[in-house]
Amino acid sequence: MDFSLTKELIDIQKAAGEFAKGEFDPDVALEHDEKQAFPLQIWKKAGKLGFIGVQIPEGYNGQGLGLLENTLITEAFCRQNSGIGMALALSDFGSELIRKFGNEDQKKRFLPPIGQGKSLITMACLEEDSSLTVPATTAKIVPDGFMVNGKKSFVPLGNLAEHLVVLCGVHSGNDPEEAIIIVKRNEEGVESLSMGEKAGMRMIPMDYVYFKGVKISKEGVIGQPERSPFYLREIFDEVRIETGAMGVGIAQGGLDMALEYSKKRVAFGRAIVDFDVIRNRLADMYADVEMARLITYKAAWAFDRGRPDKRFSVMSKMIPAQTACRVTHEALQIYGGQGYMKEGRIEQFYRDAKVLNLFLEPGHMQRNLLADEIAGKRGHSPREV
Amino acid sequence: MEILRYTEEHTVFRRKARAFFEKEVMPYTDEWEREGVVPRSIWKRMGVEALLCMDVPEAYGGKGLDFLYSVILAEELARTNCTGLAAPLHSDVVVPYITAYASEEPKRRYLPGCVSGDLITAIAMTEPDTGSDLASIRTTAVEDGDHVIINGQKTFISNGLLCDLLILAVKDPAEEILYQNIDLYLVEAGTPGFEKGHKLRKMGWNSQDTAELFFSDCRVPKANRLGMKGGGFIMLMEKLQQERLMCALVAVAGAENMLRWTIQYCEERMESGKPISKYQHNQFKIVEMATEIRLGRTFLDKLIADHMEGKSIVVEVAMAKYWTTEMAIRVADGCMDLHGGYGYYEQYPIARAWRDVRVMSIFAGTNEIMKGIAAKFMGL
Repeated sequence: MDFSLTKELIDIQKAAGEFAKGEFDPDVALEHDEKQAFPLQIWKKAGKLGFIGVQIPEGYNGQGLGLLENTLITEAFCRQNSGIGMALALSDFGSELIRKFGNEDQKKRFLPPIGQGKSLITMACLEEDSSLTVPATTAKIVPDGFMVNGKKSFVPLGNLAEHLVVLCGVHSGNDPEEAIIIVKRNEEGVESLSMGEKAGMRMIPMDYVYFKGVKISKEGVIGQPERSPFYLREIFDEVRIETGAMGVGIAQGGLDMALEYSKKRVAFGRAIVDFDVIRNRLADMYADVEMARLITYKAAWAFDRGRPDKRFSVMSKMIPAQTACRVTHEALQIYGGQGYMKEGRIEQFYRDAKVLNLFLEPGHMQRNLLADEIAGKRGHSPREV
Repeated sequence: MEILRYTEEHTVFRRKARAFFEKEVMPYTDEWEREGVVPRSIWKRMGVEALLCMDVPEAYGGKGLDFLYSVILAEELARTNCTGLAAPLHSDVVVPYITAYASEEPKRRYLPGCVSGDLITAIAMTEPDTGSDLASIRTTAVEDGDHVIINGQKTFISNGLLCDLLILAVKDPAEEILYQNIDLYLVEAGTPGFEKGHKLRKMGWNSQDTAELFFSDCRVPKANRLGMKGGGFIMLMEKLQQERLMCALVAVAGAENMLRWTIQYCEERMESGKPISKYQHNQFKIVEMATEIRLGRTFLDKLIADHMEGKSIVVEVAMAKYWTTEMAIRVADGCMDLHGGYGYYEQYPIARAWRDVRVMSIFAGTNEIMKGIAAKFMGL
């Protein structure tokens, strides 16, 4: 057993950290957070330097790196700024479906611009009620392809992305089937509507996306439709680990700030870092961050070895999400009044951390999945992804 | 047996306050949140309806009513989810200093305006480098004949931009004995040398005009000092009991509201053909939160009763302020979780409440200070 990062991994971690320090200007972050705007310029720059879509193979202009590398980058980015970090991490949302299950043509066509920071892609999988149960968004089989109708909710960058990977229900034979289809955002009949202002993760605007008789050629279908639930399961496990990386980064960023602040803030004649209560709190925060990190790294490592560990994937969303909330909560408290002010920066981390438990699936879903894994499934389990 | 004995008059007043807020505040809250401040007109409307400073004696334009009216008003205001309209801060935290400690002339000059809503008040203790540690404030008041000359800076001051009258905590540099060097002065807006800074940008309380205040050679008559020379710290200690109690009240009332919206949401929201309130996991979460809120409410009501009897309950109020505000933050978290992804969206009231509630463990004395006070008074 070896827990150390290789030299290559340390180099990547360092490079990502330096990029974030240099490029994630706090004022720019504040401005994008207030306007609920995706950091387009930073994303382009990150793409040019090879920090976006890093799991895309080199043959398709990617970096050919693994999920562990991706995890380290996402963590470093979120550590510097939770909002920008999440925005960059989600700028290739859904591309993994193409990389892993797409055909050669699709890979050639869609992947290269993603890795270069030239094209945003997103995934539209959730229905109005935020569930995944047999999609109400349908793809009807027509000559030469499909006709897509319906409405998706919680689509990250639904208005900005050039392509959407859409989960559809297909009603062909007796059994309802599913298909995952790549749709061009500016295709006729595709419309998006902002889901409105939200409390955090504001650099990833969320949209409803409507499909009104959108014609898609057969070439847009990813893999074999009947295998779609399996594809989705794989991708969700991967996204859970990426979410874990965000959580670890946000928590670490909160801890960094709390440490820095408590060393310089003086009360009752001494730096507050000298108070017992603050010291104990910082120690708890540190331990929390390390635990979350271990779980996430192990999940990513197992994934890269080609033997994903379902339990660890699930826990790597569950634990870092809680950790990020707890640590940023404590950090904000250590900051006191300044922590509640926008200029204090920690409040953004606190707001952003909260989404980790809600994003993609509610927190109790991970417990249900983990319970299924360790205690066996119950009679009528809700659809599992 | 009820802990608090509400009379028929109290109940009538509650109905009146609720109707007023539903008509005059709730429809405008979103707009005020965007504008970052509430309009002066709402203060005046509250004055006209006798909803401000109800405890002020009739001789000064008030109604001389008991503290339960303040409790009712704060609870009903909490239902609006509009934290920016800091009327309880004015009526039950700031103005009581004037009523209790000002000399006759300033009382006659200011109290009627406080009651009518023509004068909005604020209190300024916190400074950029001094939050919890009040004794180390740096704003100074140097004596000069019948006046004092004030220099310094305050921050995080609620009602900071709107305030017409400020209670300002200052230090006398000539006084060397710690805690006896602090005084409170009434400072009118518009006094030369008193400048209001820009509105601070915050995580929540967006319709509250929290601001920085600056004083440079600001001349204030000595007659505007509250109480005896050097009595500032004692007065603060005495009046902070009610401030902390109000804070606990707003926390409990806020948590009650959040849970009420959440239960309604869970009863309406369907998942796999049944309301999500029918799922065991959600039911237990709701029950756990309801239990915490009831515990908080029972403790709080007992303290309100004790406070009205004039008991000294420093330890208990410090405990209540810390525990209820942390409870309200926990409840906000739990309620947002029960809303699923939607709770994160500002169109649901829980999103704003979640942002707003987070400051409560920090303001009115951080919860760390509360625990320190309790420890001290428990003789630890």
